[in-house]
Amino acid sequence: MENSKRRFLKGTCALFAGATGASLLATVNASEGAKAESDIKYAMIHDETKCIGCRACEVACRETNQVPEGVSRVRIEQTGPFGEYPNEYYHFSRVSCQHCEDAPCVNVCPTGAAFIEKETGIVSVNAWKCVGCQYCIAACPYKIRFINPVTHAADKCDFCRETNLAQGKQPACVEACPTKALVFGNLKDPTSELVQVLRANPTQRAKVALGTRPKLFRILAKSGEVIL
Amino acid sequence: MSALHFDTLVWHWPIAIYLFLAGVSAGAMFFAVLLKHFVLKQNAYQSGFIRAACIVAPVAVMAGLGILVADLTKPLDFWKILVFYNPKSVMSMGVLILLIYQVFMFMWIGLIFRKPVDAWCESRFPIVLKLTALLARFEATITGLLVILSLALGAYTGFLLSALPGYPMLKNPVLPLLFLASGLSSGAASSLLGGVLMNGKPNDKEVHFIHKVEIPLILVEIVLIFTFFMGLVLTGGQSKMAAFNALGYGFWGWIFWVGIIGLGLSGPLAMNLFMTTTSKRKWAYVAGTACLSLIGVLLLRNFILYTGQMTIA
Ligand code: SF4
Ligand code: SF4
Ligand code: SF4
Repeated sequence: MENSKRRFLKGTCALFAGATGASLLATVNASEGAKAESDIKYAMIHDETKCIGCRACEVACRETNQVPEGVSRVRIEQTGPFGEYPNEYYHFSRVSCQHCEDAPCVNVCPTGAAFIEKETGIVSVNAWKCVGCQYCIAACPYKIRFINPVTHAADKCDFCRETNLAQGKQPACVEACPTKALVFGNLKDPTSELVQVLRANPTQRAKVALGTRPKLFRILAKSGEVIL
Repeated sequence: MSALHFDTLVWHWPIAIYLFLAGVSAGAMFFAVLLKHFVLKQNAYQSGFIRAACIVAPVAVMAGLGILVADLTKPLDFWKILVFYNPKSVMSMGVLILLIYQVFMFMWIGLIFRKPVDAWCESRFPIVLKLTALLARFEATITGLLVILSLALGAYTGFLLSALPGYPMLKNPVLPLLFLASGLSSGAASSLLGGVLMNGKPNDKEVHFIHKVEIPLILVEIVLIFTFFMGLVLTGGQSKMAAFNALGYGFWGWIFWVGIIGLGLSGPLAMNLFMTTTSKRKWAYVAGTACLSLIGVLLLRNFILYTGQMTIA
């Protein structure tokens, strides 16, 4: 008995040491991956002061990325009207993936189907690997992921990674916007329009307190209401 | 907003049942090991309660996995979870724990029933005897790892939900402990219920032992539930909102106060204390108390899952 007890203790200790070692290795690898970063990191700005709520972005995204009816990768949320006639106005804000640097959807995905593309920082989904457990949908604090009714995989905005971006074009929503309210570009390129706009304007990101480090910036329009 | 359908609801009741069944399995194995080592020693396989645990644990864990797979949007692709792993994902690590747990569970069950198995196989499949002898050499290791794995499995059911940062009520460090404690007590209850349904007697020493462990376990659960909600209220903001939304009023408020606190915790606590002090144990008392515990735990899983998703950060 004494012997087997000792053997058991030894075994468990080895197991724990092994497990700790493996997880340490995993973290080290992860941070090394971060060190060997590429010089592209895509981000987007939605200038709410320029947005007129025409929803051209929604339509363009649906067409370009073949997003089925009933679900959407980007929505313009409208509140209002505020103010008195004839000076009524609405508030529009963009609801889409924030391309979090520390993305909860990626952290929870059991198969690695939800992933961050190392070269670009884009958060994307490998539809083949996805089993549809919906863990990522529950984990996303911005509630913008959905199950694509055609592929049965999780889906969301991927900055047109597989469509327009692959063809060297700007994302479809950016191209479609008539007032140039959307700016897409490389955060690491100081000469890019994106960085210029970010430097020149006060911007805001949603729910930063959760530690997700989102890469969708918004230039706020007056909100028209006071919410405490 | 209706209690069972609302915008921010992603995971429905099948997940709650999966969490419940995983907890039952872990708890049943945990108590089976305790019973064997502290009460029954040899010939444990003759006890109805051990037998019940050895049936409940595998059936529960496999049924749970079945429900999990059926609930995927691509059930036929479930093998990808077994092939691709993500060390950062609680679900991925949980599946790994579940698999290893099942291996040790079956080895331990094999050891419990070694005598009858050996007797039956002696003339028919002598090769099996070598296998059981090999297992017996590692009995202590198998038992120890089974205990650790069952505790890990019980806690995993909570970590699965506490890894969701968008829901302030679920992102709560007490949740894994709460689910572990309630999972253990559901395992104990299912062994008791199965035991008295088989050849166990309500006055057997196994019942005395489990009841003695259950009283502090229920008290711990009550303390954990209190800490869980106190933590939310004191955190303030959306966490406080989440706590009030869950407990305050309506359908889930009733489920919590009447179903979980009343029937699921106070009921069994009172019955256990009564049975311990009077040492009168009738079949109906034991079975009834066990049923109350099980209902309470099942309600708790659903309550946490649904109310947890009602309020977002
Ligand atoms: S916004 Fe949601 S889907 Fe997009 S990266 Fe962040 S967590 Fe993932
Ligand atoms: S639904 Fe798909 S992408 Fe989302 S966590 Fe599950 S496997 Fe990963
Ligand atoms: S970047 Fe592409 S995928 Fe994302 S919302 Fe715009 S058009 Fe849709």
